[in-house]
Amino acid sequence: MDYVQQRVAQEAAKEGGASSALFTPLNFLLLGLVLYTTVSFLKPKAPITLPKEEPAVVFRTFTPRTLLPYNGENGQPVYLAVRGRVFDVSRGRNFYGPGGPYENFAGRDASRGLAKGSFDEEMLTKDLDGPLDPLTDLSRDELEAMAGWEERFLEKYLVVGKLVAVGDEDKEESKE
Amino acid sequence: MGFFDNLLLSADEGITGLFAQWNIYSSVIFTFLAGFVTYQIATRQEPDTHPFLLARQAQASPVRQPGESPVYRSQAAPHGMPLNAGLGVKDPGASKWSRGRDGDLRDIWRQAIAGVQEEGPAQGTKGRILTVEGVQHVVEHSLDDLTRQINLIGQHILDQGGNRVAIYLPNSVELMATLFACAFYNLTAIILPFDQSADAVISMLRRSAADTVVTAPGSFPFDVVVKSYSSLRQLIWVVDEGSKHMDWNEVPEGTGGSVNVSTWQDIFSEAPVTSGKELPPLENQSEPRDVTIFWQGKPGETEEMVRFTSANLISAVAAQLFSVPTVKRIGPSDLFLPADSLANTHTLVLTLAAFYSNASVAFNSAAPQAANLSIAATGISPTIIAATPAALLTTHQETTKTFSTTVAKDLHWLQTRSLKDGIFPESGFLPNYYQSAFRPTFGTEPGKLRLVFAAERIGGDTPKLSSSVLSDLRLYTGARIIYALTAAKVAGAVAQTGFYDYRVFENEKQGCSHFGPPTTSVEIVLKDKDGYKNSDELSQGEIIAKGPCVAGKVASLGAVGYIRDDHTLAYA
Repeated sequence: MDYVQQRVAQEAAKEGGASSALFTPLNFLLLGLVLYTTVSFLKPKAPITLPKEEPAVVFRTFTPRTLLPYNGENGQPVYLAVRGRVFDVSRGRNFYGPGGPYENFAGRDASRGLAKGSFDEEMLTKDLDGPLDPLTDLSRDELEAMAGWEERFLEKYLVVGKLVAVGDEDKEESKE
Repeated sequence: MGFFDNLLLSADEGITGLFAQWNIYSSVIFTFLAGFVTYQIATRQEPDTHPFLLARQAQASPVRQPGESPVYRSQAAPHGMPLNAGLGVKDPGASKWSRGRDGDLRDIWRQAIAGVQEEGPAQGTKGRILTVEGVQHVVEHSLDDLTRQINLIGQHILDQGGNRVAIYLPNSVELMATLFACAFYNLTAIILPFDQSADAVISMLRRSAADTVVTAPGSFPFDVVVKSYSSLRQLIWVVDEGSKHMDWNEVPEGTGGSVNVSTWQDIFSEAPVTSGKELPPLENQSEPRDVTIFWQGKPGETEEMVRFTSANLISAVAAQLFSVPTVKRIGPSDLFLPADSLANTHTLVLTLAAFYSNASVAFNSAAPQAANLSIAATGISPTIIAATPAALLTTHQETTKTFSTTVAKDLHWLQTRSLKDGIFPESGFLPNYYQSAFRPTFGTEPGKLRLVFAAERIGGDTPKLSSSVLSDLRLYTGARIIYALTAAKVAGAVAQTGFYDYRVFENEKQGCSHFGPPTTSVEIVLKDKDGYKNSDELSQGEIIAKGPCVAGKVASLGAVGYIRDDHTLAYA
């Protein structure tokens, strides 16, 4: 309390009132504040930019041999082919990737296996350089099952390419 | 005393000393500061649309073909969904929840004369149809009269054996009536650009194999056409009030003996008063016929003939209706002025959209040539204008000159800043002052104009508008501006800027603003061309448009473009 009284007395003893000049340090401070607020309010905001999207996957033509590496191992995406269409099933890695129940299909033509509902090795086309599986011996039910799978894949996954036999890469797509 | 006590004492003395300097100026400055902060906070507004929606305006397909960009679509028409193909016309008696037909041109006129169908205060309201003659004279056409004209003209052409009807008229209600007459009476309409040389007219008639011409005297080289184009069977003059008394049916001796000549007014006035009141019934109506349009490139080039199906045009109308947000949609309180040639599908489609929305429509045959917006809007107060870029550019130059004082420039700068923040300055102290003190008047009443459509034409000689010019024009006109990219083979627009997109960019290629995302009835893909190659980083190349409003479903537009980071299309 002593201190306060002392200070009050000290201030009261000072000579003269406030100066009437415009350019006192206090006024400079206030003007600076005005300037800062004005600039920060009036500066146009930079338009918002969103981060770039993942680049689109380029549609490719695969042969059984070039499709093979896309089996999900070593961080590769998981692709599988159904009736000439290559699907990117990486999002279903737990099923189609390494260790999953359908891992045999990864990087392969899965048409026959899906039609027959079997995940065995013998469902896959052995000869990677030979023609594609013609699937002519399938029964009506099996074909239906395969169409069902295809439909589900089309809903869920992206078609990232087509599968053709080795030697057919340059041939123009006749159907479509 | 310890160190801290000393420190506190000197701080105390310093602060007291500082505030001891408080004087009248300090109070003034402080009051100003407090007032400024209060004003800024009190008048703070949310942007008209979420900034994220402007930051990425189109959707790219996740897979692309080699040598092509991803497929880009409007956010409102996502991949895997059909593009906007129709109006969803609900026939009387149809369930409220049914999807509705795509519709055709006939449904647009039926909607125009039926009035607003939605329940609400505006139910049953119909638009007015006006013609502006000269500077002041405005004539209103009754919808019933127009329906009669559509019926009588259609029936007349049909009775005379007409099949392919060339319409060579300036922007006028007769042009639209003939188009509707063709739609209702199973005729093929051919819209010729107006004010062409005799050779060009004959060439267009020949290429489109027209057998009937609806035109205005004075502009159509009748003698020459009759001599050199023998397939012409009939001709209908649309004569104006002043020369109605003349005998237009008389064919000069030796010329055009085989051509049946009549006038619009005679067909209309000589028919019994009760005839032609009812449109042909909706039941069992025939498939709509095509509409042929001539696209004008640069002067001297041959016009490109494009056949649009009725579905093409309807899909374009639907996309335009969709492009205006629901709260601001075109309605019966609007007055639409097509101030660009109706021979352009963009203008035609917008006019059809206005009819379908039961907006009033004004026709002024001189508007497409008008040097600026004020001249185009003479005699009326349009709320929506489809203007030529040339008129907009002149308006910009003329108005910029009037902004010479510092106050005007600063206020304009402030308002531009508001636009850049995504807020259209519509109300409040400053916008009101700007409006009353600086904004030029377009039309007879100030402050009515709310929306301007303008279109860049690929291969045409339209001047290009930059985003800063567009931004200035938004303030000069007080209207939002939709700037579109149009091409010969696409009805309506290929892509157009968003209703709420007011952003300004520096260093635009070719000094031309971006064109926003594709409309909801188009998807675009860019194909490698010359030095323009697509990569993971950049989508660029020749613009290819696909969709229900493209003649022949797919068309290369003959221009090179690129997709910017915000997924809008721009010239490369």
